[in-house]
Amino acid sequence: MIKIEQAAWDVMVSHARTTYPNECCGAMLGSVDGDQKAVQVAVALENAFAGAQGAFYQLRPEDLIKADAEARRQGMDLVGIFHSHPDCDAYFSKTDLENSCPWYSFVVLSIQKGEFHHANSFLPDPDQTVAVQEELQHPR
Amino acid sequence: MAKILIPTPLRQFVEKKDSVELSGATVGDLLAALTSQYSDLRRHLFSDEGKLRSFVNIYVNDEDIRYLSKDATPVTDSDTVSIVPSIAGGRHGS
Repeated sequence: MIKIEQAAWDVMVSHARTTYPNECCGAMLGSVDGDQKAVQVAVALENAFAGAQGAFYQLRPEDLIKADAEARRQGMDLVGIFHSHPDCDAYFSKTDLENSCPWYSFVVLSIQKGEFHHANSFLPDPDQTVAVQEELQHPR
Repeated sequence: MAKILIPTPLRQFVEKKDSVELSGATVGDLLAALTSQYSDLRRHLFSDEGKLRSFVNIYVNDEDIRYLSKDATPVTDSDTVSIVPSIAGGRHGS
């Protein structure tokens, strides 16, 4: 289960709305206790994909290193990645799966006509062949 | 000794440490020492064929070793090595 606190959630939804109709991306920082993850801080990152960003996002590894450094500085952990699906459901697409990594939770936010609609979280496997949905708790 | 930063989900395989300091002349030496000392970590970084998994990038300080000398990239005691996944995606594809 992954639980996202209000301040982090506000950053995630705001980033997804601001970048609409493009896909956004970012990092989630917090704590991990077994299968229980808590997200206290969300870091909005730039979609580094060089092509059309309406249907694709790419994180710069350098940005992820900085996010991890920020987590360590705050005594937190990098626990997940978020991105948006503009005018599309929050499923884990084949593209998402093939470009994922099994170490983190992947939260997908569906943004419909510029407004938040719903979200889901996924745990990809090491072979990038399947992603299991995990329970997601977020503020309304 | 060079410092290797361990991503949160992999710390369970390195006695819950957030970094490990190891000796080695190159990145290849360090990764070999790391996965020798913590054998359960190996399958998370390397495929069955012994290659780094496709989503795993190795950085020395701020530099991706693919643009340096890959496994032969030299390291010194003052270097920090990061294990960073490649992450991308998109809404297309069901």
